[in-house]
Amino acid sequence: MTDLLNLPWHEAREQASGKELAAASLSAIDALNPKLNAFLQVGRDIGDGMPVAVKDNIVTTDMPTTCASRILSNFTSPFDATAVARLRAGGCSIAGKTNLDEFAMGSSTEHSAFGPARNPWDPSRVPGGSSGGSAVAVAARMVPAALGSETGGSVRQPAALCGVVGLKPTYGRISRNGLVAFGSSVDQIGIITKTVRECASLLGMIAGHDPLDSTSATNAVDDYAADLDAGVRGLRFGVVREAVEQLEGEVRANFDDALAVLRAGGAVIEEVSVPSIGYAIAIYYIVANAEASANLSRFDGIRFGHRSDRAKSLREVYFESRGEGFGDEVKRRIMLGTFALSSGYYDAYYGRAQAVRSKLRDDFNNAFARFDYLLTPTTPEVAFPIGAKTDDPLAMYLSDIFTAPANLVGIPAIAVPSGFSRGHLPLSLQIMAPHFAERALFRAANFFERETNYWREAPPV
Amino acid sequence: MKIDRDEAKRIATLAHLEFDDPALERMAGEMTKILSYIDQLREVDVAGFEWTDPADATPLRDDMPRTPVDRDAVAANAPSFSDDGHFIVPKVIGD
Repeated sequence: MTDLLNLPWHEAREQASGKELAAASLSAIDALNPKLNAFLQVGRDIGDGMPVAVKDNIVTTDMPTTCASRILSNFTSPFDATAVARLRAGGCSIAGKTNLDEFAMGSSTEHSAFGPARNPWDPSRVPGGSSGGSAVAVAARMVPAALGSETGGSVRQPAALCGVVGLKPTYGRISRNGLVAFGSSVDQIGIITKTVRECASLLGMIAGHDPLDSTSATNAVDDYAADLDAGVRGLRFGVVREAVEQLEGEVRANFDDALAVLRAGGAVIEEVSVPSIGYAIAIYYIVANAEASANLSRFDGIRFGHRSDRAKSLREVYFESRGEGFGDEVKRRIMLGTFALSSGYYDAYYGRAQAVRSKLRDDFNNAFARFDYLLTPTTPEVAFPIGAKTDDPLAMYLSDIFTAPANLVGIPAIAVPSGFSRGHLPLSLQIMAPHFAERALFRAANFFERETNYWREAPPV
Repeated sequence: MKIDRDEAKRIATLAHLEFDDPALERMAGEMTKILSYIDQLREVDVAGFEWTDPADATPLRDDMPRTPVDRDAVAANAPSFSDDGHFIVPKVIGD
């Protein structure tokens, strides 16, 4: 039965019932989670639909939502996130809540208040973040699919480091109702699976306008699987010059190999300039943190979450509860965001970051006028050892250098496995497309997956 | 952009966060380093892209009441809740 967990869900279902597969999934979670720490909560309700893991910053009524923070360790939401409700309506069951960097702030899952998740390819290494638990749950074949969330790359980057598929849809494609807010102008729920086809299927299940999220798009939900087998002949792919010129070694060689695969399928590949792309991290760490400083002000010890025992005045309820409840990275980002929005600095920091963001969006529009897709590696490096970057916040932030632009501009982007390093750690190709072009994105990604089949190799756990 | 102790303290107060002295020093140093990286945004020519508050940002809906959240669920999450449905907090007015 465990072998069946290596297959795409619909193929596995040809050989076993949903209930048998869900039971196998639960056994896999019980066997592997003590070592990998992917799940903070495990659901014991075995239905016969697809078990889907949900990142623990997306609310569920039947399990707590902690955001991997001490400030919310005792919180159970009175409502399901819209994406969760749609999964349930589609017959899926919620396998459990997965580990993340606290409040989705991080690129390694090391900032979880409940210990890091571990990369199934090498448990001494990070799985990436912030949706590390979700990526591990799928990569280790504990579940066929997981929801994560993205603000600067937090689905694609861990998917890349764990060798699985990770999608960030167009901003507004999936409702944010029930996703604990971090950066409201960039946040999106994302989907992690072993294969592109499964990802397309789940997007169709949960995408679509939601009256409870006024930033959700009214664009019609597409038939995302329709062009999966259409190939890439004649399609135009732009390699982002400013991203590629920094590449070297194994990542460079692997990226070039990926281009060769696409070219062999008849893709037209040229370099294209996205001049402002180098500023994306700087923009991101002002805009996302500024919005986070506002969004996290609701954690004040009053209505929910941790309230300090030592607080005697209202001021102390706020200061002590937040001081005790938030981890260092969260505090650092709130401080940066508060600074950027404070009087005297607002125009120079938040205003300027938004202006450069507009320029970045313009650069992407220009690129998409000539190309159907844009390409980069998903990350500049393979999974790093646990502890390697925790003393250097800026070094950690630079893990998002290729992923953050898509969040800032709102375009959809997908990470697909592209091979392995010499040390047998996963490498990943990132494909970006214009707003609401997810169907085209899946077309290109599926072609690449079918030509390379890297997803068939499971980690040695 | 250099963040010194006093500036860090000012920001912390705005953010309703408190740090002991060593933590405040550390935070000031980290913020200085990160903001130095972010300061490269100053060199960008943003002519034509200046940011203004958009007038037509998020669409509004009619102000119609919807199903409220279940009070028992709210009470279950509250640090301190009265029988008649109020959050209990330290005294704010008076003294």
